[in-house]
Amino acid sequence: MATGTDQVVGLGLVAVSLIIFTYYTAWVILLPFIDSQHVIHKYFLPRAYAVAIPLAAGLLLLLFVGLFITYVMLKSKRVTKKTQ
Amino acid sequence: MMKLVQWLWGLAILGSTWVALTTGALGLELPLSCQEVLWPLPAYMLVSTGCYALDTVGCHVATFHDCEDATRKLQSQIQEAQADLARSGLRF
Repeated sequence: MATGTDQVVGLGLVAVSLIIFTYYTAWVILLPFIDSQHVIHKYFLPRAYAVAIPLAAGLLLLLFVGLFITYVMLKSKRVTKKTQ
Repeated sequence: MMKLVQWLWGLAILGSTWVALTTGALGLELPLSCQEVLWPLPAYMLVSTGCYALDTVGCHVATFHDCEDATRKLQSQIQEAQADLARSGLRF
């Protein structure tokens, strides 16, 4: 079995993914079948955000990946120029 | 290559089914709650795939087998080798 921090980090990741999954499933799949006067609707944003938020998060992720690749490529180009 | 083609076929079939159902091209009159569940489905599939990936990574990080004896032995061997080489004059 993995030691100390590895276990904590691993279980933390599992917990985060479960939380996100259950909340998103309830939002997308269960909520339309619940009466609109029920109190549970207070805990969920308007439905349009169910698509907008993952889309924005995905675009941000792509942006960061692109920036990271650009940074690494520039750094390696500077290193080869210095050694020439 | 074959796997990629199979995945693309599956995605194409599911995608066209979804488009047909959301635009009402098949002429079915789905109840409003079913339509509300249907239209965010691609985003839902993406999010659940991401969650599954995160979950798998977390599980494997938590259950990774550390070999503590081998680690300690290897580290002591490295220190021995370093001391030996330093004595023979190699500069680190």
